Order: sequence, then C-alpha cells, then structure tokens
Amino acid sequence: MSEPFVAVKDLRKDFNGQKAVDGVSFTIDKGECFGLLGPNGAGKTTTIRMLATVLAPDGGDAAIGGFSIKNQADKVREIIGVCPQDLALYEEMSAVDNLIFFGKMAGLSGKEAREQAAANLRLMELSDRGKDKIQKYSGGMKRRVNLAIALMGHPQLLFLDEPTVGIDPQSRNKIFETIQNLQKQGITVLYTTHYMEEADHLCKRVAIIDGGQVIAMDSPYELKKKIGNPDTVTLEHVFLNLTGRSLRD
Amino acid sequence: MKNALAIALREIKSYLQDRGDLAFSLLLPVVTFALIYGAFGGQNLFHGTANIVNEDNGPFAQSLLNTLEHNNSLTVKILKASDAEAKLGRSDIIQLMVIPADFSSKLAAGQPAQITFKQRGNGGQEGQIVYSIENAAISDLNMGFQVQAVVSQALDGTGISTSVIFNTVQQAVATEKTSPSVSIREDLTGSLPDPVGQFLPGIITMYVLFSITIGARAFAEEKRKGTLERLLTTRITPGQLFTGKFLAGMGRGFVQTVILLVLSYAVFHIFTPLSFLEVIGLSLVFAAAGGAVGMLIASVARTPDSANWIAVFFTMGTVMLGGTFFTLTKGTVIYTLSRFSINTYANQAFKALVARSGSFTDVGVPFIILAGVTVFALLISRRLFSAVSGQR
Repeated sequence: MSEPFVAVKDLRKDFNGQKAVDGVSFTIDKGECFGLLGPNGAGKTTTIRMLATVLAPDGGDAAIGGFSIKNQADKVREIIGVCPQDLALYEEMSAVDNLIFFGKMAGLSGKEAREQAAANLRLMELSDRGKDKIQKYSGGMKRRVNLAIALMGHPQLLFLDEPTVGIDPQSRNKIFETIQNLQKQGITVLYTTHYMEEADHLCKRVAIIDGGQVIAMDSPYELKKKIGNPDTVTLEHVFLNLTGRSLRD
Repeated sequence: MKNALAIALREIKSYLQDRGDLAFSLLLPVVTFALIYGAFGGQNLFHGTANIVNEDNGPFAQSLLNTLEHNNSLTVKILKASDAEAKLGRSDIIQLMVIPADFSSKLAAGQPAQITFKQRGNGGQEGQIVYSIENAAISDLNMGFQVQAVVSQALDGTGISTSVIFNTVQQAVATEKTSPSVSIREDLTGSLPDPVGQFLPGIITMYVLFSITIGARAFAEEKRKGTLERLLTTRITPGQLFTGKFLAGMGRGFVQTVILLVLSYAVFHIFTPLSFLEVIGLSLVFAAAGGAVGMLIASVARTPDSANWIAVFFTMGTVMLGGTFFTLTKGTVIYTLSRFSINTYANQAFKALVARSGSFTDVGVPFIILAGVTVFALLISRRLFSAVSGQR
C-alpha cells in the first residue's frame, strides 16, 4: 500500500489556554478529495491554517508530500494551494493581475504566470471579464477567482475552505466541476464545508470534527450506514446525530 | 529579491490604478509648491500692517500717521477703538497702536503725551517689526520736541518768537532725516537668506514622513483583505514580504518628495545639479528611515485604523520634536527629547544642504543616524511581526 499524501498526527493548537485543535489525526491519499466537516468553532479552519503553514502547531505534526509542516514548511508551501474561506483578493486590481501576481508568488516566471492566469480564467469561464477590476465582480465571480488563484503554480494539494459560501447555483456548479476535474488530474483536495450534500457528492471520505477532535471518519456511505439506511439517511442526519442540535455561534 | 520587487510593484500598480489616490498624492506636492511660490515667489521684503486707533485727529497725530504711511514696509489701517479691541481679543490682529484724544493738545501745551501700544503675546515676528518701525517714527517726533524745548530754553529772553524757533527746528529735523549727520554705509555680503531655502527643508521632511503612514498600513491592509495569510502560504519568505512592503512605502513618499524638489529646482533655482542630487540622495535615506518606522508600526497594528492613528501620533510627535515648526533651545527637556526624533537629523541635514548650500560631507552624522534607524527599525519590526501575529 502506498504512503498517504497527507498524514496528520496528533495535531494540537491552543489559543489563550483554549484548545482549538486537540489531537487531530487523519490521512489523505494522493488524488483523494477529503472532507473536513464540523460546526462553527470546531477547529476546521485552525487545522487548515496549520497544515498550510500559516500557524505553527503547539503539538503533533503533519507530513504533506513527505515534508513536515514543522521542519520543512518551505517545501510544503511549494506543493500547496489555498482557497481561503474569506475572499483573499486585491479588489482594486483586475482578475488577471491578481492571478499573475499570486502565480509569481507561487514560483512561476512572468511568462508562465501569464499563461496559467489565462488558462485558469478560461477554466472558470471568466476570460471575457479578466481585465475588469475585482470590485466590479459578483459574489460568485469573486469565489471563482478565489479558487483560480489557489490553482496557480500547479499545487499537488489544494485546501478548499468553504469555497461555495453565499454564491449562486451556477457558480457553485462550476466550482464542483472544477474540483472533480482536478481530482481526475490527481490533485489531492482537503475540503471543508457546511453544505453536507457537497461533501457527500465530492468527498471520498470525510472526518467530522467537534471541540477540536475528530469524532467520526469514514466514507459518507459508511457513516450514513451507521445510523440507518444509507439510501434514505443524509450526511446532514449523521452530522446532527454526532454533533447535536444545539446552536454553535 | 525578485519576489520583494513583485510585492513592491503590485503595491505601486494598485496605487497607480486608484485614480483618486494617485491624483491626490501627486497633486499635493504641486499644490504645496504653488503655495510656496505664492508666498515667496514675488518678493522677499518685509511688509506688515500697522493697526492704529486715532482718537486725537490733531496735527501731531496726523504728522505721525503721515510718517508711518510713507514707510514702504507698512500698510496703515485706521480702526475704531471698539472694533480694534474686539479684533485684538479675537486674535484677528496681533498688535495695535492707540493715539489718545489729548495727544496733540498736550504736545502743543508743552506737556508730555503717551501713545499706547497693545499686542497679543510677544506680537510675533510681524508685530515686533511693526512695533520697531512705529517706535522709530515716535522717536523722530520726540526728538523734534526735545530739540525745540532745549532751543527755546536757550533762546529765552533773546526776543526771537516761538514760531520762528518752531519752524527753524522743524526744518533742521527734516534736513537731518534726509541728510543725516551720521549715515550708514551698506556693505552687502552675498544675498539675503532665501525664504524658500529656509522653509523648504521643513516641507520636504513633512512629505517624506508620508512614508510612515503608508508603511504603517502595509500589513493591516493585507490582513483586512485576507491576502496576508494567502501570501504566507506561497513561496514568498517573510523577509521578501517585508522588503517589498518597505520598498513600496518608501517609494511613494520618495516620489512625492522628488516632485516637490524638481519643481523647486526648476522655478526657484535654489540648487546646483550636484546639490540637487545630494538632496535627492538624502531624501531617499530619510524616506527609508520613515518607511522602516512605518514597518515598525505595521508590525504591531491590528487594523488599518489603528495603523493610521499610531502613524499620525508618531508623525506629529516627530515633527514637533524635530524643529520643523519652531527652534528648540539647548538644555531644555524638549531639546533632549528631540534627539530621538528622526526629523531632527533630517532637518539638520536638509538645512545644511538647502539653506546653507552645504555638501554631502557636511551631513555625514545625520546621514549615518538615519541609515542606522532604517536598519534597526527593519530588524525590530521583523521580529515584532512574528511575535505579535503568531505567524511565520
């Protein structure tokens, strides 16, 4: 059996004494789309921030493509792409300029960045609006640019942190299609979302995280089977069953 | 370095694409320059206003007013007593001369008369000069009366009429004014200190300090946009990010200063080609110091607003302590504090180069201090950035 592309082991992070991530462990195979699900404040984004080398973990470690996030962060950053939960764009610049800039930051030459920017805009069906400033874009278009930027530099692992929040069905569908195409190309995806049907549809396996700990991890089908008939039970039922119905603000 | 330049270029591109920001920041030096030209471009001589309340309207009061009106450095403004007091109270005017109602009658009767001179505080530079001119006119008038009294006393009992004595003395005084017994020969050495040269250093330092505010917002703006975290997941190193942000902040402050200097060079001709290059070089080093201090603020500021306020507070402090607006007296506490203001060293150096036509060798110490501040502030800000944000 081949080594997992991502191996997270006992990852921990405290903020002012509060455990945000408390011993999270999981693995992701190369080319797999892995879902990280959980209510607000469960620790999903903190986990992604540590894996993306933005935050230093207080304990544990993770290997991405064989590189430690603690000791080989520079190497990790060479093979990842991040699509953050909040839009991270320069609104005063055009989409193509945003893509070229982040492409250069991802290690591409000027020529490569321009070529890949054009390709990614085509992929997101934004070629005709590429020279418009981002501030003129709709929410769905901005989300697509946000994803297009994450793809600059040909990452091997893509972090998609709630990439479809607040957008129209057409843009969401476009993002789904893109993720499925990426999987076909062998790109590994770590996906977080509050939309359970998205995870059910896209992810081969999901981990449900609450209170900073993984409370369940399996394929959506197996998780559904544990609480009833997998053809009638939804992943949302599983989620509510495991995390409870109390509000998390 | 390639990544750092890409960061700086992106900042500059954003700046150039924001037309409002661009127009404002590039027009500002042009407007400042126009104001300097308006203030100093036409004339260098002093000109002030003598505010006078004339409650007398007699011949001696009129004689005094005539003397003042003939002075080319003064504009005589006659005010009503009530208006004048109100204006002085509101600081609309800063000095006032009051000729009392009995002024001429007392002098005609051979009695002493008194003119009142009022001013707010020390009257400022203009008030003091106007006072000197008025005082000189009063002294001339006084001299006439004193001479007349002495001559009248000496000729008492000789049968010469008072009117003959008065007319003769007045003629003698008038002759003394036009052909004085003791004259002054003017021996000019060089030209008058150029007001543009005197004020330009302060204005330059103000412009360069824009680097602080621009630099201070560097990370807070990226945090607000969410792009800071995204950048930190790319191959760019924190050092490259710092360098890029520093270059962008420094560059914008420097460009504005260069516009001001080029206009000053072209219109006022206060530079030689060499001194112009020296001032440009000094501006670059000062902009670097300002940009580095801006990065220091950027490293601890959590929001663009807090970055702005810290930068404004720092800029105001450094300008006040730096001797831009007023000269600091040696030995005072504020003078000691001024040694910690980068503006102090920049002002010293700019004054040496612009106002005193010095060369680069005259500004070695301030130059080294500003360069040292740049390096020190960049090193500290880099450490603070990691410590405060908890990021790499």
